[in-house]
Amino acid sequence: MLREEQTDSGDLIQGTLEMLVLKALTRGPLHGYAVAEWIHQTSQQLLKVEEGALYPALHRLELRGLLKAEWGASENNRRAKFYQLTAEGKKKLNAESQRWARLSAAVAFVMQAS
Amino acid sequence: MAPNLHEFLGRLKSLFRKQRLDREMAEELEFHQTLLREKLLRQGVPQSQVDRATRQTFGNPNRWQERLRELWQFRTAENLLRDVSFSLRLLKKSPGFTAIAVLTLALGVGANTAVFSLINGLLLRPLPVPHAEQLAVLSFEEGGPQPEYEFCTPFFRSLETRHDVFSDIFAYNTDTLQVRGQSGNENIHGMLVSGQFFTALQTPPLLGRYLTPEDDQPGGSVTGLAVVLSESFWERWFNRALDVVGRKLIIANVPFTVVGVMPKRFIGADPTQRPQIFAPLSADPIIDAPRNHIDDGIHAWWLTVLARRQPGASLEQANAALQTISIPILHESSSDPQFISEKEKGHFHFAAESGSRGFTFIRTLFRKPLTIMFWMCGGILLLACLNLASLLMARSAARERELATRLAMGATRRRLVQQLIVESMLIAVIGTAVGIAAAPTVSHFLAAMLSSGESAIQLDASLDFRVLAFAALIAVISTLLIGLVPALQSTRRDLNDHIKEGQHASHLQERRSILPRILLACEVALALVLVVGAGLLATSVVKLYESGTGFDPKGLVNIAFSMDKQGLQGDQLMQLYQQLGDNLSHQPGVRNASFEFIVPLSHRGWNGRYAAPGQSAHMIWLNSVAPRYFETMRIPLYQGRDFTWGDTKASGLKIILNEAAAKQFFPGRNAVGQQVIYSRTKTSFEVVAIVGDAKYRDIRTPAPPAGYVPIMQDEQPKPSLNAVVRIDGPQTPLVAAARSITARLAPSIPAPTMTTMDDVVDNSMSAERMMALLTVFFAACALLVTAIGLYGTLAYSTARRTSEIGIRMALGAQRARVVALVFRENAVVAFGGCGAGLIAAILASRALASFLYETSPRDPWILFGSVAALTAIASAASLLPALRAARIEPISAIRCE
Repeated sequence: MLREEQTDSGDLIQGTLEMLVLKALTRGPLHGYAVAEWIHQTSQQLLKVEEGALYPALHRLELRGLLKAEWGASENNRRAKFYQLTAEGKKKLNAESQRWARLSAAVAFVMQAS
Repeated sequence: MAPNLHEFLGRLKSLFRKQRLDREMAEELEFHQTLLREKLLRQGVPQSQVDRATRQTFGNPNRWQERLRELWQFRTAENLLRDVSFSLRLLKKSPGFTAIAVLTLALGVGANTAVFSLINGLLLRPLPVPHAEQLAVLSFEEGGPQPEYEFCTPFFRSLETRHDVFSDIFAYNTDTLQVRGQSGNENIHGMLVSGQFFTALQTPPLLGRYLTPEDDQPGGSVTGLAVVLSESFWERWFNRALDVVGRKLIIANVPFTVVGVMPKRFIGADPTQRPQIFAPLSADPIIDAPRNHIDDGIHAWWLTVLARRQPGASLEQANAALQTISIPILHESSSDPQFISEKEKGHFHFAAESGSRGFTFIRTLFRKPLTIMFWMCGGILLLACLNLASLLMARSAARERELATRLAMGATRRRLVQQLIVESMLIAVIGTAVGIAAAPTVSHFLAAMLSSGESAIQLDASLDFRVLAFAALIAVISTLLIGLVPALQSTRRDLNDHIKEGQHASHLQERRSILPRILLACEVALALVLVVGAGLLATSVVKLYESGTGFDPKGLVNIAFSMDKQGLQGDQLMQLYQQLGDNLSHQPGVRNASFEFIVPLSHRGWNGRYAAPGQSAHMIWLNSVAPRYFETMRIPLYQGRDFTWGDTKASGLKIILNEAAAKQFFPGRNAVGQQVIYSRTKTSFEVVAIVGDAKYRDIRTPAPPAGYVPIMQDEQPKPSLNAVVRIDGPQTPLVAAARSITARLAPSIPAPTMTTMDDVVDNSMSAERMMALLTVFFAACALLVTAIGLYGTLAYSTARRTSEIGIRMALGAQRARVVALVFRENAVVAFGGCGAGLIAAILASRALASFLYETSPRDPWILFGSVAALTAIASAASLLPALRAARIEPISAIRCE
């Protein structure tokens, strides 16, 4: 699944991966590989998305109408499947990031308590 | 759009673009791998290791793709379809296994469904009338062991007027009506019904009207005597003529007016009867002439009484109400103080029980045999399931590699289990279908056997929703039973182990094969129980036949004449009988002919108390017979002389006693020439002969003391007698001959009916015969099924041990040792099963004790014989794979690895 690199603190929950995928696509259409790379880079190489989790997540989001997919040419001119956010997807991302902010703040409060 | 709807539409679309979707998924994953590979190259991973590293990070692409595909599918439905077609292909590939599995199950399901539909028809099915649940069967208690269901007219006529809790109370009696047709009188099965019969059963007539209380009066209503016809009679006699209402029908030489026709679904209140004509109860003196059940009052117990409860009235309320009116009704019905005090001593009261299923006396007769049969069928079904489960388990053990490969290819365990269950479900569905298809034939055959004694009994054992629901339940349960265990078991192991081991037997496998062995042992035990049951019942029937009847039933034919509605009586009628007898005895193939009033073993009876002068009276059974009766029946005449046609009323009353009666009346003395006195009338009879004992009513009890009086001295003015004819060869020519003789000598009586004495004897033990036949059949099936199971599992397990056996032989094992080695596997199973089965059989056989005639339920010979039979079958089934194992060539066995 989604794993923090070089630690074995366990898997992050599935909803989080979907949120990250949606987030990755806010700047425009990307193919699967690029989504994984973007998350990896943006997280300072801390998060690594496993392919076996990434593609089911992408397809699940597509099936639910949060993403829409189109075949196009990649940077080195190969046929690739590009995903892009739909209006539904944007709504979902907003809801999810608010939820996440609340959740992480709450967790931080608890962990900082002396 | 809502995500759920979007999802649904997406899946729907994917159904039609499956190939494109697959291709695109593969392409997407391929693209990802390419980028990954390029990245690794950029990072300086040597070309030779790139592929391996990619595979390591990427994992098994097939598995990912499988997961993606599942995402886009209506998973369950599509997988199911795929599993069904795959399973069908697999089953087609091993037709032997499939045929055995399907047949085994069909047998179990067919037997169960057949017996269940019989039970349904007899015990469960409600009457086809509106609100059947409001009906109640009335009975009364008078201190006997069981409630009485046969009422006399006074009881019923008093009950009929009480409507506190009942909206209608009605009575009926099935009867044979003599109806005048184009060629003289014909016997028609009919029913006498009281005034409220039709209102209570609430079924509207097809034509005209039904009978009402006004019709149920002596002489009928103001418009005269009325009858209602059944649809089938209307069809047969009136060719569905619409003007049938108002036409006349001559019954018992008296005209009745047809007032209505009832639809086919209406069968009255007895589910085993199909009356053709309904006539008013009050017409009994006409229809049953010269008998009169109404005037006989408290001496004729002939009516079945049912009632419809008022809406909302419970059975408890009905019983309470009946309780309060019981004693008043008893006093109303008779002025005989002895009768009343006798009943009051037995705490006489009426009672009501649920009547939604109507009333039939055969229910009490066959409830127990049917229940036992049902359990036996259940045993067969369980056996079939056990057998299939162990076969499937052995088969899936042989398929371990295939399953392991499929696991390795990315199938989940759930999917494999699902597919294996689908496989067993297919077997179950096909087996059940075949079973259900065969069930009606079987149940009609059974119903015919049950009702063969009483030709008027109709058992509707057809399939209805209840039977089908039952069959479906069986199919589901059997699927789970046969499918789940083997499926879970064969997919439990780590797939690495499978692939590494291949065909080598390991300790793990040894341990795992305990479960199939336990199943097989259970099967052997169950088979033994069935075989013991069959042995007991069959022995009992043989003993019944061997016990003899006291006469020789072979080649004896009974011909029944209905003389009660014709003109002759007394001596004139006797002359007619004599002529009939002479004519019959001159037919080709006929040795002797005579007459009797009661056919032995037909469950009819006539008894009376007789005494030797100055001695106490004894109850003896009676029959009136014509001259040459004993010769015809081959009952030995020990002493004295036979009756002659000259023994008329004028020549003094005569009686012939059987040995048992003679011993009872005149112990140690010569009975011939003595007098016996009939207690009721104080008339004296001269004993003219002593004959051998013969069974009278029941074949299971020893021949009772009996007396025979000549028909010429019969008290009845118009006795309807049976001719007994001893013939050589076939009886068919006699049927035609009897008809033509009757048409010539007694043209007004209905055509005589014929039964062979062999049939009478068979019918007198129909319950025992049916159970014995069925159990023997079941036991044979159980043996066969068990043999197949033992053979099949051993064959599979031996096949898996081929290389092991090869190695053993290469290391010098003797062929005999190999045979013993393989044989031992089943011997343990059979031994354990027999032990357990023996205990179970001894416990279960007690339930059969009441059906056994002179047979102990623990007869050691039967127990021993059953074990021997099972052992022999098991050995034969086990020896084949063992011998085959011994023929294994070590070299080829090892090479085939």
